[in-house]
Amino acid sequence: MELTIKVGWLFNNMFNLHGDRGNLLAIRAEGERRGYRIEVEQINLDTATFNPMDFDFMFCAPGEIEHFEAAAAYLEPHRKELMAYIETRPMLVTGTTVALFGETIRRDDQSTIRGLGIIEIEARENHAVYGDDLYYSCQYNGKEMEILGSQIQMIDLNIKEESPFGRLKYGYGNNGNTRFEGVISGKGIFTNTLGPVLVCNPWLTEEIINLIETNKNWPIWEDHRDNSLELKSLKSKIAHIDKKETRLKNISER
Amino acid sequence: MKFYLALWFAKLMGIAIKLVSKGRGTNLPGEKALTIDPDFVKHFKNIDYSKVIFITGTNGKSSTTNLVTHILKENGKKIVSNLEGANLLGGIATILAKEASLSGKLKADYYVFETDERYLPLIYAQLPAENMLITNLQKDQVQRNGDPDFIIRKLKEVVNPRMTLILNNEEPRSRFFEEIARRSIYYGVSRHDESFTKGVYYPTQACPKCHHDMSFDYYNVDSIGAFHCDFCGFASKKIPDYPITDLNFSDQTFKLKNVVFHMPYDLPFMFYNYAGSLAVCEEICGIAPAAAVKAFENFKNIGGRFEVLTYKNKTIKYMRIKQENPDTLQSALNIMASDQSEKMVALGLYVVNDFVPHYINTFYAFDCDFKPVVDSNVERYLCFSEHVSYDTANRLIYDGVSKEAITIMDSDDINEIFAEIDKAETDNIYLITWLSTFEKMKKFIEGGQN
Repeated sequence: MELTIKVGWLFNNMFNLHGDRGNLLAIRAEGERRGYRIEVEQINLDTATFNPMDFDFMFCAPGEIEHFEAAAAYLEPHRKELMAYIETRPMLVTGTTVALFGETIRRDDQSTIRGLGIIEIEARENHAVYGDDLYYSCQYNGKEMEILGSQIQMIDLNIKEESPFGRLKYGYGNNGNTRFEGVISGKGIFTNTLGPVLVCNPWLTEEIINLIETNKNWPIWEDHRDNSLELKSLKSKIAHIDKKETRLKNISER
Repeated sequence: MKFYLALWFAKLMGIAIKLVSKGRGTNLPGEKALTIDPDFVKHFKNIDYSKVIFITGTNGKSSTTNLVTHILKENGKKIVSNLEGANLLGGIATILAKEASLSGKLKADYYVFETDERYLPLIYAQLPAENMLITNLQKDQVQRNGDPDFIIRKLKEVVNPRMTLILNNEEPRSRFFEEIARRSIYYGVSRHDESFTKGVYYPTQACPKCHHDMSFDYYNVDSIGAFHCDFCGFASKKIPDYPITDLNFSDQTFKLKNVVFHMPYDLPFMFYNYAGSLAVCEEICGIAPAAAVKAFENFKNIGGRFEVLTYKNKTIKYMRIKQENPDTLQSALNIMASDQSEKMVALGLYVVNDFVPHYINTFYAFDCDFKPVVDSNVERYLCFSEHVSYDTANRLIYDGVSKEAITIMDSDDINEIFAEIDKAETDNIYLITWLSTFEKMKKFIEGGQN
């Protein structure tokens, strides 16, 4: 019988800003390479029954803050289930939507949106947008790796009682003043790196699938993916970062 | 007195710049005038704000402004417009200074201004136009704008119950503003031969009224087409006030209100510009569609996005896209895909370098469907441009292109690009890259390398 990985794609139409669907393509490609069937279920405001534990991986892309209250109202009854889910299972939340999983979001007009409180962070909407490359080291599923992607920062994050997902090598990160990038809580990744982060950094994709295999008591696939194209891309992008002009506070001064 | 000083200074500066370089000086004189008199634009005399039309939105502003101005001029109207220049307050200040008398008096039938959506509140504060056309509000320039809602909030500062809005019937975010305006006029395009759909893994968007998912029956342009929200019933009208119908690509004609028009450009995104322009001309300026027919016969778009070059025995079809803008990339891909003859596809997406920090962004390519291009008889792909070529190639690979079919060139070297084009057996080359590289390629050809 074909082994199936079930993926939950949260609010795929509502939260859709930066080609984030690429992450689903990356999960599908790597899963299928290992011979699994990938089943993607889209969860939206009209989904009548949502149980996080039905899924092996969940993904939530960046969205407009305008829709956060509607999303929070939908997810609120599932808050505890989501917290239990990330204890053992992988979840990827990217860009602005990280704030939705935090405690409060202070908007630029001084109004406040209550987040889900799944991660202990406070978020503040910025008056201006900041877009840049984002480069950091991190560890996931026991593997050290480097991630390079893009950041379009509309909301600053302040970590209260959480561990950062990454340590910055270059970029704005959570708020431009610390060396922290994102949050890791259990197996849940909450990162400012948006767009197809799993396409550009397939080493993270591999670890997510490895974790799914562990969770499902399947043998870990040992035939590694050919990442030579992405490694060349990484090298070229690091060269770009090394030579570019920036007005960010130096990482060593943060 | 400050106003007069600013006006005369701007006039003199405009003349001086024109003497040095004819195509320049479309922003600086106005900018300088605004430093002398910060309310410079507000102080011009004789402007009837009911005759002022702003044309704003993500894509199609320039073409629509060009066409509205052209139709009105062909019908004998005196128009003041920022056709040649910048769409910020400085650009508008420049053109008003140029057109005004020495005492700051203006005389025109209509004022038609392309306005940058981000700076609209600043412009409106000095020039409270009573008419505005919104072309569409899409993902664009995310390093500056973040997301479409950022721009919607800017527009909310301006749209008010005194305004007449001309709205794209098939674009949900623009349609949202119908609730605020005094009067809304809708234009649209019916389904045609190049309308398309996208698979279930291409997200749509949330309903701007109730947050639930929107569905599109089809797209005429990426993110624009007949839409509906099953939850609240918000939907495109079946028949808008100004619908383009009977699009005939072989005859190059279309109909609007039973009038047959020549189609100056048979590009799907232009159809919306045609419909919007005809709506403005009739509703605001009293020029009926029948009176606009002649203007379509001789319309030349300024700064269009398509250009054809001849290189040796090959034809290079260049399509300029806007950076960080999936909709213009999708339009370019659709045009390529509609040509089923053998072709080479040269893709030079590039580092976004509008301002510091320059950054790498090819992620918008994942919003676009490359599959129709992949299935359209491509001999070979060339992915070039420093730092982004590998990611561009990867995007193609994720839509089924084999690694072997792609030449990856982590460089913008013109000689290397042409060397790859030389290797192609096909004479049909499609090129997407930024203007700077294209201009260098053009010079290379004009310099006798042909």
